[in-house]
Amino acid sequence: MPAPEMPPSALDGYRILDITQGVAGPYCTKLLADYGAEVIKVEPPSGDRGRREGPFANDDPSAGEGALFLYLNTNKKSVTLDIAEPSGAAVLRRLAASSHLLISDWRPADLAALGLDYESLRTANPKLAMLSLSYYGESGPYAGWVANNLTSFATGGQMAMTGDADREPLKPGGYQADYQLGLNGFSAATVALFDLEMHGEGQYCEVANIEAMASTLEASLSTAAYTGTNLWRGRRGNIMSSLIGIYPAADGYIGVHAMPRNWKALVETMGQPELAEDPRFSTAQARLQNEDDLRATLYAWSVGQNKREVYQRAGSLRGPVAYVHDMEDLFTSPHVRDRGYLVEVDHPDAGTLTYPRGPFTMSETPWIAGRAPLLGEHTVEVLTTLAGLSEDDIAVLHGAGIV
Amino acid sequence: MPRLPLEGIRVVDLTAVWAGPYATRMLGDMGAEIIKVEGAANPDMLRSLAMLSQPDPRSYNKAGYFNHNNRSKLGCSIDLTKPDGVQLLLRLVAISDVIIENFRADVMDRFGLGYEAVKSAKPDIIYVSMPGHGKSGPEAHHVAYGTNVEQLAGLVSVSGYVGDEPHKSGISYGDPTAGTLAAGAVVTALLARKRTGKGQYVEIAQRESLTNLIGEFVVGYSMNHRIPERIGNRHPWMAPHGCYPATGDDQWVTIACETDAQFSSLAEAMGAPGLATDPRFAELPARHRNQEALDEQIAAWTASQDRFAVVATLQTRGIPSAPVLTHIDLLADPHLAARGFFERPRHTEAGAWPMEGPVFRFKTSEPHLQRNAPCFAEHNDYVFKDLLGLSAADVDDLYHRGVIATEPNMSGHQ
Repeated sequence: MPAPEMPPSALDGYRILDITQGVAGPYCTKLLADYGAEVIKVEPPSGDRGRREGPFANDDPSAGEGALFLYLNTNKKSVTLDIAEPSGAAVLRRLAASSHLLISDWRPADLAALGLDYESLRTANPKLAMLSLSYYGESGPYAGWVANNLTSFATGGQMAMTGDADREPLKPGGYQADYQLGLNGFSAATVALFDLEMHGEGQYCEVANIEAMASTLEASLSTAAYTGTNLWRGRRGNIMSSLIGIYPAADGYIGVHAMPRNWKALVETMGQPELAEDPRFSTAQARLQNEDDLRATLYAWSVGQNKREVYQRAGSLRGPVAYVHDMEDLFTSPHVRDRGYLVEVDHPDAGTLTYPRGPFTMSETPWIAGRAPLLGEHTVEVLTTLAGLSEDDIAVLHGAGIV
Repeated sequence: MPRLPLEGIRVVDLTAVWAGPYATRMLGDMGAEIIKVEGAANPDMLRSLAMLSQPDPRSYNKAGYFNHNNRSKLGCSIDLTKPDGVQLLLRLVAISDVIIENFRADVMDRFGLGYEAVKSAKPDIIYVSMPGHGKSGPEAHHVAYGTNVEQLAGLVSVSGYVGDEPHKSGISYGDPTAGTLAAGAVVTALLARKRTGKGQYVEIAQRESLTNLIGEFVVGYSMNHRIPERIGNRHPWMAPHGCYPATGDDQWVTIACETDAQFSSLAEAMGAPGLATDPRFAELPARHRNQEALDEQIAAWTASQDRFAVVATLQTRGIPSAPVLTHIDLLADPHLAARGFFERPRHTEAGAWPMEGPVFRFKTSEPHLQRNAPCFAEHNDYVFKDLLGLSAADVDDLYHRGVIATEPNMSGHQ
């Protein structure tokens, strides 16, 4: 709970019913919860599958939840409820009656089979808004596909561009397809709530990750769609052009991303200002013609550099150079520390760990540094206050394995 | 006309290139009125990337990349380096709900358009800044282009082929992700304003918004203080989990088995049911340890088949599998076609071509692209005369003094 002197958070007063698991849906509802919404996380009695994913403290999976779940479920209330059983589905409908928005990552056909499609839920709450997050959406030839982060990343268009030209396409670290779906889900959820406020009743909204990702392909898709010619083929490698890429340093990796206007600042950062006058490189066109020479020049420079020294010099000269931060670099970064971006949060099982702060700051409404719930921690509280069940009702459901 | 979720909201949009414009295009798709403001001497850089086969004096209105990122917006031209331009912008802010910018950290203050100045023109304004590093901190003044931001965020350090160097994303990944987030941050602030009556200042540091997308690595590092290994297309516990060759030029298919049952079914589909009882592969932990040998066998099976044929075989068995699709594949993709994802609006000067539609599919609103991207200064009359009520003589005077303009000077982007 926020301290009494804290003003309410931005989404204070909104109740979200969350039947998602894994990464995408939970990231969406984590953002909503961290900015103040009351998120009721409905988990199967065995728990969100994310609870069983590492890394674990001391590499011990029996110690409780892993980092993924702890991170993605902050500030939520956990209710165990088997909605695949009719009596569990009935309880969900009662919870929907007092919620503003229900968020689902179920395939729509599977949910409809349980009598939990939007039209059915609206009989319990005519104003309810609903957001469906899925990899392919509910119509079209791929709607029935089983999928996960890897296969969704493959169909989004980003994978075909990522990696080295002579190797297989590469997905980036972690769950980037899922996070993109969750991020789109967060923004769609805020729009759904605003729509509910403005128009007095909610509506159904669907986000399909293949569409969300196909919208992010830089100039490649748009230029091909407009000009009818394909200017980008294959993967872009780690050095996409001499001036956009990652080069080895003495103690790690340096990144260069220079536009024509940054050329002079780049060569100054390199400590080789004479390159600015070198006829091979003096204009953007010359640099393009002497791409191989430029790449070799940058490489010869980078391998002897200390990554932190280069970055510091780049700052004062406004050179377009950074370095690859690993987790230790992130934890020791003076910039990250100065901005208070990493915060400590205590959890009864996992102890005090370091978490990223919210991805945006608001001057008047605080972000909440809370923890993830224990499995079923709020079952009794939520079912008695919001679903109108008695302790006896809950005992019966518990006996049947529903909660 | 069906209701649109954000109708009645007006956004003054000073953003350029990708992250900021991606945010405002989403808001525009949802019905907000977006007024993109460009200076004649400093138009959006993407206008310079027309990639046309023939020289064209008005190519700045015909860049596909610009026109995709800026659909569902209106456009006007104001020179913010002139005091009268700043006054004009403040008049526009006074009748708007949101102002959003992605300049370098110090630029808005230099214009005299910092939060306090803007707030005095519109007390409940929602003011959104999207600087790469944030407005505070020792690195706030560093250059922040897309690929650098993802290095600073930590994403690159956990990306890369097994045991190989850290690898960049294929796109400036921090841009569309920060843009998508910013759209939600704007609406979050609108919801708070609805309850409190107050606007506020919202800041999105792109590098922070990107670190949020690898948050489990941060929490994990604080548990064990171990630098994560790079595992390419593999997964911490699933196996197989990879990208395999198919027939055709540079065509690939991904396959991921989450359970032993899925793997057993994969082995049958491959005509090698013995794999499912082979002690190296039968159970997940062993399979995970021996996935290099397993990947070789799967690749040998996929290499002689069309990627969609592999997917069809595996999908009927309930095994997660999908082809690697390029942007060219997506433009012709039957699934997206069946869903009507690409629309074909007509642009005033550039014609009509397929453009991806709104990502948020609200079923009652059925939002479609609200309008095409603005030609440079296309809506000057609407903004200055209709919205701000200036007379024709006043507007002529502004043109005369170069406060507003009809054509951009593209030389700064050559």
